[in-house]
Amino acid sequence: MRTIVVEHLARVEGHGGITVELDGNTVGNVHFDVVEGARLLEPLVRGKRFDEVAPILSRICSICSAAHTLTSLKATENAFGVRISPQTELLRELMYRGESIESHALHLFLLALPDYLDYPSATALAADQPQAVLLGLRLKKLGNLIQETIGGRAIHPVNAVLGGFGKVPSVEHLIELRGALIEGMKDSDTMVDLTASLPAANFCHCDTAYAALFSPNGDSYYSGDQVMVAAKGDLSLIRAADYQTLTNEKAVPHSHAKHSSFHERPFMVGSLARLTINPRRLTGRLAATMERLQLQLPSNNPMDNNKAQALELIRDVERALEIVEQLLRDGVKDERPVGIQPRAATGTAITEAPRGLLIHSYTYDADGRITAADVITPTALNAADMEARFRRAVEECPEREDTVIAKRLQMIARAYDPCISCSVHLVRRR
Amino acid sequence: MKPLLIIGLGNPLMGDDGVGCAVVERLAADPRLPDYAEAVNGGSDLLRCAGWMEGRSRVVVIDAFEDGGDPGSVLVLEGAGSLDERQSHVHHLSTVQSIRLLQMVAPAPLTLLGISVPSVKAGSGLSPMLAGQMPAILDRVLRELTWSSSM
Repeated sequence: MRTIVVEHLARVEGHGGITVELDGNTVGNVHFDVVEGARLLEPLVRGKRFDEVAPILSRICSICSAAHTLTSLKATENAFGVRISPQTELLRELMYRGESIESHALHLFLLALPDYLDYPSATALAADQPQAVLLGLRLKKLGNLIQETIGGRAIHPVNAVLGGFGKVPSVEHLIELRGALIEGMKDSDTMVDLTASLPAANFCHCDTAYAALFSPNGDSYYSGDQVMVAAKGDLSLIRAADYQTLTNEKAVPHSHAKHSSFHERPFMVGSLARLTINPRRLTGRLAATMERLQLQLPSNNPMDNNKAQALELIRDVERALEIVEQLLRDGVKDERPVGIQPRAATGTAITEAPRGLLIHSYTYDADGRITAADVITPTALNAADMEARFRRAVEECPEREDTVIAKRLQMIARAYDPCISCSVHLVRRR
Repeated sequence: MKPLLIIGLGNPLMGDDGVGCAVVERLAADPRLPDYAEAVNGGSDLLRCAGWMEGRSRVVVIDAFEDGGDPGSVLVLEGAGSLDERQSHVHHLSTVQSIRLLQMVAPAPLTLLGISVPSVKAGSGLSPMLAGQMPAILDRVLRELTWSSSM
C-alpha cells in the first residue's frame, strides 16, 4: 500500500490537498481534504443588522468578493420582499461579468496554462513566454476595472447596497470602460488562439451531473431563482428556497467541507455546468469558438471546464460591452436604493459566482437582525464530484508513477478552479 | 498619486492571516503616516493590486508570515528575497509568486514586510497575542516607510 499526497492547494500550507491510497493497481481511499479551521461564519453575522451582513460576508474571499456581496444583498432583499430596478439588475450583472473576466483570466493564464505547457509556475512561464502572461494580466485588469467602475472599489465593493446602488457610474467612467472593453474584445480573440493551440488533456473520463442557475434569458449570472440539474438526460428544476433538496449536505470524516449530492450522485458546478444547462448562450461567435476548441456538450471530461471558461471569457467581455453601450444609450438614472422594511423572514439567493453556484440563505427576526445564516460555496458543492473524478483519473492512469498521477490530480483540481480558502462550510442553522 | 504605496494583504476572517489588512487600516488613520504614502487593503490577491502600483516610486507589501518567528516580528525583504515560491495554489498565486511575476513583467522597487503570526485559523480579528504587538508592529513599519522613501 502506498499513499500519494498532493499538498499546497491552499493559501496556508497543509490546509488543503488530495490523498490517494494505492494497493498495487487497486485504488483505495481517494480524499480531497479540506482541513483548515472551521470558518465559523454564522457567529460572525449572527445578531448583525441586515445592512451589516453583506460587507462582512464579502470578505470570505477577495477574488469572489463581488459575488458574495451581490448574493448576500439578493438574499436579504428576497427576505424583505424588495424588488430592485432593471437598472440595478443591469449594473449588478455587469459587476458579475467583471469578476468573471478577472477570475477566468487569472485561472486560465496563471494557474492552468503553466500546467498545459509543462512549466512549474506562472513565473517560469513568464520567463519564456511573457506575452502569454501579459495577455492574461491585461484581461484580469479589465475585469478589475469593471468592478472598480461599478462597485467603487476593486476589492470588497461599496457602491452596491441593499435595494440598489449608493452611487452609480458617471458617463465619463462608462466611456472609459467602453474603450477598455473594445480592446478586451481583441485580447479575447488572442486568448482563443492560445487556448486552441494547447495540447489535449484527456486523462479523466466519467459522466456526472451538472447544476447551474436556470436564468430566464439563458445568459445571466445573477437573474433567476431556480437551479437546473442535468443528469443522464433527466432535467430537474429546484427553487432557490428549496436549495437543500439540491445540496443534501453530509459531513464526511476526512474534510471539514460537507459533501453535496443530488439523488445520491455528486454533481459539478461552474463554467462547464453553465454551458451545459444554458446552451442557448452558444450561438454565433461562441458556437464557432466551441467548435475550434473541440468542446462537445455534455462533456465527461472535467478538464473541459478550462475550455468552458475560455468561452465564457469571450462572452463576458462581449456582454459587458453590450451592457455598457446600453447604459450609455439609455442614460444612467441617479435613482436611490429601494427602501428596506425589515420583517421576520427567511430569504435565499442563488447566483453564479465565477466558479459555480453560490448560495446565501438568511433568517431575520422582526428587527432585521440575523438569527441564522447559511453560505454554501461552489467549491463545497464540487468537493464530492472532485473526489469521484480524482479516483477515475487514477484508475485511467496507466503509468502509475506517483509524479504522473500527482500532476494529473493537480491539473484536475485546477480545472475545478476551487477556492480552498472559502470552501469550508460549517455553518449551522438554528 | 502618492509616490509610496503600502498594500496590506490577508483575510480578516482567518484570524491572524488578516494582520496585513489590520496594519494598513491603522496606518491609514495614523497621523504619523508620511504625506507621500498611501495605505490600502489588498485583500488576498496581490495581482489585483497591480493597477494601483503603476507609476509609484516604491511599493511596500505587508503580509502574514507563518515562519515560527516571534509573534509580531517583522522580516524585511527586497522583492520576495529568496523565499520559496513552490507554495502554489489552485485559486490564486501566492504572494511570493505574485511579486516575482510582477517584477518580471513590470519591474519596480518593492519591499515585502512579513509579520510573524502565531496561528492562522478561522475567526474574525487578530489573536490577543498578535493584537498586543500591534503598537510595536506599527512603529516598525513606519520606520521602514521612512527608510523606503529614502531609497
